[in-house]
Order: sequence, then C-alpha cells, then structure tokens
Amino acid sequence: MAWTKLWVIAYRDLIRNRRRTFFTLLAVALGLALLIVVNGFIAGVVEDSLQNGIRLQTGHVQLRAESYTDGKHSLQWADLLDQPEARTAQAAALPEVTAAGPLLWADAIMNTREDSVGLLLYGIDPASSLHTPIRDALVAGAFIEANDRSGIVMGKTLADNLGLKVGENVNLTVINASGQPEEALFVIRGLFASGVPIYDQSAIFMPLAKAQAFTQAGDRASAIMIMLTDQEDADAVAAALSSPGVQTLTWRDLNAYLLETMGTAMSFYVIIDAIIMLIVAVIVANTLLMAVFERIREMGILAALGMKRRQITQMMIFEAAIIALAGVVVGGLLGSLAVLYLTQNGFFYGDNAAVVGNMAVSAVLYARFEPVTFTWLAVWTLIIALLASLYPAWFAARLEPVDALHSS
Amino acid sequence: MSIIELRDASKNYHIGEIETRALDGVSLTVEAGEFTALVGPSGSGKTTMLQIIGCLDKPDRGLVLINGQDVTRLNANRRADLRREVIGFIFQFFALVPVLDAYENVELPLLLNGVNAKERRTRALEMLDAVGLSDRVHHRPDQLSGGQQQRVAIARALAPRPLMVLADEPTANLDTANGEQAMEIMKRLNEQTGTAFIFATHDPRVMSFARRTVKMLDGRIVENSVENGAGH
Repeated sequence: MAWTKLWVIAYRDLIRNRRRTFFTLLAVALGLALLIVVNGFIAGVVEDSLQNGIRLQTGHVQLRAESYTDGKHSLQWADLLDQPEARTAQAAALPEVTAAGPLLWADAIMNTREDSVGLLLYGIDPASSLHTPIRDALVAGAFIEANDRSGIVMGKTLADNLGLKVGENVNLTVINASGQPEEALFVIRGLFASGVPIYDQSAIFMPLAKAQAFTQAGDRASAIMIMLTDQEDADAVAAALSSPGVQTLTWRDLNAYLLETMGTAMSFYVIIDAIIMLIVAVIVANTLLMAVFERIREMGILAALGMKRRQITQMMIFEAAIIALAGVVVGGLLGSLAVLYLTQNGFFYGDNAAVVGNMAVSAVLYARFEPVTFTWLAVWTLIIALLASLYPAWFAARLEPVDALHSS
Repeated sequence: MSIIELRDASKNYHIGEIETRALDGVSLTVEAGEFTALVGPSGSGKTTMLQIIGCLDKPDRGLVLINGQDVTRLNANRRADLRREVIGFIFQFFALVPVLDAYENVELPLLLNGVNAKERRTRALEMLDAVGLSDRVHHRPDQLSGGQQQRVAIARALAPRPLMVLADEPTANLDTANGEQAMEIMKRLNEQTGTAFIFATHDPRVMSFARRTVKMLDGRIVENSVENGAGH
C-alpha cells in the first residue's frame, strides 16, 4: 500500500479530534522547549561561573610555591613565591599570554564601629590588565594606584552592608607572616560591583606592595596569575613555566571543584531531562491509545479490507510522527527563542548567587545557545515520542478483526 | 470447483462461564456467481458463518476451503492477504473509513492490492458510477445519507473484483426504499460481474432477492433451497 495514503489517513485521523491533537502537540512542544531552556540555562550558568572564576580569581594558569595549599591563604614565606616580578616577566613573554601579574591573598577582618566581617584581601598590581574586570566594575570613587599606601577598593555590596562610603576609613586586621595580628587603617578609594555577589560581598583589593608590607610577606606573592588568549593553551603554558619548587596549575585544576560540581549537577539534569521526556512519552502514548480505543471498529474494517498488521502499526506510528515532528518544530522554535531572550536579558538571581557554594555565580544568570545540544534534545524527543507510539500501535495491530468489528 | 466449502465447521464462544455454540457441524458449498441468502433469527449463526467464510475468524473444528485452499491453517497475515484478494465485505453499519471520501474509500482496497494509480482511478470511478454515486465522489461519509454510504460500501467491496462479497445484514440500517435499491444494485452487479454474493439477513424483503436460501437455526443449517424464479 502506498505510504502516502497511510500518511493521509494518519493526518486526517489526527485532525478529527483537533483539540486533543493540539494539546498533545503542545505537550510535546512545551516539553522540548522546557528541555532546551533548562539545558541552555544550565550551560550558560556553568560557563558563566567558570569564566567568572577564571576572570576574577584563578586566571588560566597560576604559579604557586610547591607548599602553598589552596584555600588556606598561608602567608608563611615558605608557602609564598619568591621573585614574583621575574616570574611575571617570564610568563608575560610567552606569546599565548595576554596578561600576568602577582597576587597576594590574605584572610582579613574588617572592623567597623558596629560590626566585624571576615573577607579576603587581594594584594594586586593595580596597573596590570588582569584587574581590568574590577576596574571596569567601579561604581564609585577611583581605582587604587600602585604607590597608594593606604587605599583599598571594596565591593559595593560589602560597603552597603557595613554602611561605608568612598573616602571613609576602615580598620583591617590580618594574621601576618609571623603569625602575629596586624592592624591598620585604610581609606576606601572606590567601590566595585562585579555582578558576582561572592566577590562584591567579600573581596577587597589593595596594592601588592602595601599588602606585602601589611602582612610582612616581604617581596613575595601567593601566586602569579596568568591570562591566555585561548584557554586551551593552558597546559602548554603551564609546561613552559614549570620549574622546581613551583606548582603550575591550569584553570581546570583551579576550578576542579566547580567542574566536578557541575558534572554532578549535569547528571542530575540528565535525570530531569529523562523525566520530562518520559512525561512527553506518556502523553503521546495516552493520546494514541485513546485514538485506538475510539477507532477499534475502524481498525476492524481496515483489517477486514486486508490491511496487514504491519500497515496498521505504520499508520499509528505515522500519527505519532506527525504529532512529534510538529511538536518538535514548535518546541524547538519556542525553546530557542526563549534561550535567545535569556542570552540577551538573563534572569536576575540577585545576591542569592553568593550562597551557591564557592562558585562565582553572577547575580544575573544568562543562558547559552547550544545548537548541538538542542538538536540532540529534539532528536531524542522525537525518538521517545515514536517509541511511545509502539505500544498503542502494537495494540491496534493485535486486535482481532472479528472482535474489532463488533466493538461498540 | 466450489469457491467456498465448509466441512463440519463448528464454533463455540465463551462469555465468562457460559459456552455458546454458534456453529454446530455446518457443511456448505457455494459456487461462483451465486446470490445466496443466509437466513434465520438472531443468534442462529449467520454472522459467525460469514466471519468464518470471510477469514475474519477460525472455526474450532472442521475445514474451511476458499477457492480450494484450507484457510484454517493460515496465519493472520495470510488471512489478510486472502481477504484482500478474493473477498469483499459489506457490513450492516456501512463501515466506511470516516476520514476518506467516497472515492478514497473505494480506492482503498485497490491500493492495498497494489493496483496502479491509473487503474485505481478508473475502477473506483466505474464502481461509484455503477452504484449511482458519480456526483458524490468527493463526499465524506458524514456528508452522505445511510443509503449512499451503503452504496459506497458496495462499490468498495466490488472494486477489487473479488470472487465473493459477504454482506452482513446489508439493509438493516436502511429504510425500505434504500434497502431495496441496495439489493437491486447488488443483484445487478452479481449478474454483471459474476461475483458471488452471500448475505446474512432476517428481512423477508431481502430474502426475496436471493436465488438460493440457506436457513439456519441454533448454529445448524436446517434448510437449503434454490429458487430459480426469484422475484426480482
């Protein structure tokens, strides 16, 4: 039998019950659109968090002293890198490197009349383009200069929380390299709003020389942070800069927690994807089963006319294919438009982003357009919908003509 | 050679604990070109007999030969092939495919038989003309009266040029005029094409068209008569 006629019968059967077909198609479309939005959004958040972390904290490659332990912010000389300028110059000379500079990290406590708050002090080279993101994020005052002996810049959110303004003095306390508390007054030169709450709430920047003096770190640094033109060159650059007594870490090592967390989250989202697809499958199967039950006598007529079970199966699968194809097209379009909107306008998550583990999640979350992922989601939705039609099709094909003809 | 031969065919139906004997050791022979009525009250086994002859069902016991071939041993697909190739059906409830128009309904068995497009068109239009529906070719079943739908069903049954047409109460849902018209068409086409017609009925007006009457009661044939001088 000509397949075209089976398609015609399938199509006309679907438009017999327009409302049911419309809602089934809508379920497929919304299911796929939801899959696309969720996956686009997650891809955007993962990439955004990773790039925020690289841009603001880790860089693409870092050099550290062999004994420096991530997260402890040790100021002991043995844990710090010597000759930071020479190492920076060596890194900057590599063609893959766009920026390099020393950093000194120290845990600090900011004291005001009413409050005390723990934060992370960054000693930086203010002239380095490594810190352009913070400089560009200034919303009040000015950025610090290299020779500033008392100035700091801090996150606007932190300043607002403590009721501080540009020009006001703040007291900072650190445990210096000798393990002794060190206290000094600093002037707020500027406030930044990076859009990443975890930084805006807990980071302050001061010139490296002042930070070294304040913490008694000598002329040493916690790390040399290096940015590259292409992050895929990280391994090559790390290899080129490796030397005895120095750890060379790439962005993958430095963001291992984030990548691992996101990997785990992705497995979770695969389960969500599967659940959404299962719901779509159940709806498609239910619609087709209802269609079969309504048309049992017609199935009997077709069988009496000599239509084979294979052809009845095909006809039911064609019905599912029409719904699934139309649903996938509509859902793909809806989902893609929603993702495109979210890539431009984002979704305001606010300061809640600060509590997402230790990840540099932005206050505004942007989706990412992932055509390959979206195409796979569409293909899987189509396959799942077609698989869902197999049972109703099998049921229709197995009907005994004599029973089907006598169905009321 | 007979086109239909039943030898000692029996069929029981089970409804819960209750067993009903629908056919009880029936033997019957039908020759090509016959116009035969199966008559008898409801529950006498007429429909079961048609279903078994039409390869829609199998007997529990006995032989059913269609054109010399034992159909009781065939699987579902082979029985579908046989139905498609040699048997036409007309049902009491018209049984048109509601999403296809009159032309497409008549064309459907030709498509299933692999007839080419040109031949399909010719034969479908010829058959619709033969049943007086040339002006209703592209009407869907819901746009046709009951009589017109039954005439489309007659055209559909005959379009593949089958050996036999099995009609189960073909006039039961028609008024007198439409019932008579349907019977006249079937009789005329029987004479023109030589296709055998076997129809189950308990309507005396329909019986009067038959050249042979097989009377059934309680699943058995109780009378088998040939009336050469049928009134129509």
